[in-house]
Amino acid sequence: MSMFNAKFYDFMVHLPDEMDSINSLVLAAKEFGYSGMAALNLRKNRNGMNQLPEDFSIYSAIEVSGKPSDIRDEIRKYKDTGDILIARGRNEEVARAAVETERLDIILQPVKFNNVLGKIASDNSIALGFNIGSIIHTRGEERVQELRIMRTNLMYARKYDLQMVLTCEPYSMYDFRSPREMAALGGLFGMSPKEAVDAMSTVPIDIMRKKSTGYIQEGVEII
Amino acid sequence: MKTLPVLREKKRYIAFKVISENTINRRELTEELLDSMYSLFGDKGASEINPSLMSYDGGFGILRCQKDRTSDTRAALACISRVRGGCVSIRVLGISGTVKGAMEKFIQQSIIKDSEPEKD
Repeated sequence: MSMFNAKFYDFMVHLPDEMDSINSLVLAAKEFGYSGMAALNLRKNRNGMNQLPEDFSIYSAIEVSGKPSDIRDEIRKYKDTGDILIARGRNEEVARAAVETERLDIILQPVKFNNVLGKIASDNSIALGFNIGSIIHTRGEERVQELRIMRTNLMYARKYDLQMVLTCEPYSMYDFRSPREMAALGGLFGMSPKEAVDAMSTVPIDIMRKKSTGYIQEGVEII
Repeated sequence: MKTLPVLREKKRYIAFKVISENTINRRELTEELLDSMYSLFGDKGASEINPSLMSYDGGFGILRCQKDRTSDTRAALACISRVRGGCVSIRVLGISGTVKGAMEKFIQQSIIKDSEPEKD
């Protein structure tokens, strides 16, 4: 059985404002082979979402941003809401503040990741996000930089046994890429197909399990 | 003169579907595909992949590449996001060892699937 028969999820989808565009985005995601997604502005668009296919799950995600102190406050504010918390590692200070705060789920494409951040992220069970969209939408020097960052991040993820998440950060139906294409693009910075499949199926499912109401902490359950 | 059969390189045929805002013609798609390939893998890589657009009808197409470079070709196809200012997405339907296989197994099946009415 091919490893691409799993259920795939994209955890960084930006929903458009119009309902028609949301429907076409969901249908496109389904056609591209995804079983679900986490949408960033779902709270705003939740009305009228009952027309969506039944076999497609949509979760809510929140992108925490701002100054390092704001990031800590926002993570603490949303940690019990059940939303997937994602922080973009724009610089080292922001990435440090984000990984140091417990209950963050994903640190997306940190620019200057290092062994200290890797160790803290590993202790706090934070997944490392790879934004494939940055490879698709950039060219030349900018793409070279992105690939270099991703190659370094992959090295630290392997070293500290961090979970990895792949996303193409879609804004519209044209931004989706199928899981096989995502794995092929992951191969450009050294990610193996197995790691890519896990980053789109096993890890997102595990994050959702941790976000479920019955979850207390790893190794603890109510009998 | 033809290449000796034992020296002939094995090919793969990638069936794909173009999803785009505007209609894209064959020349535009070829240019964008080669541009994407040169940008990602350079002249050396593109020569090793040896891509060739076998057929394209405005919606579906078949692209030929070297057998061991299908993953790179997929990556190059996935990197096409804009043509003439309009958004584009290319979905690979499948890979076959023959043009006939790619056409029958993937493109015709996809056309039949698209034309079927949705079940309530």
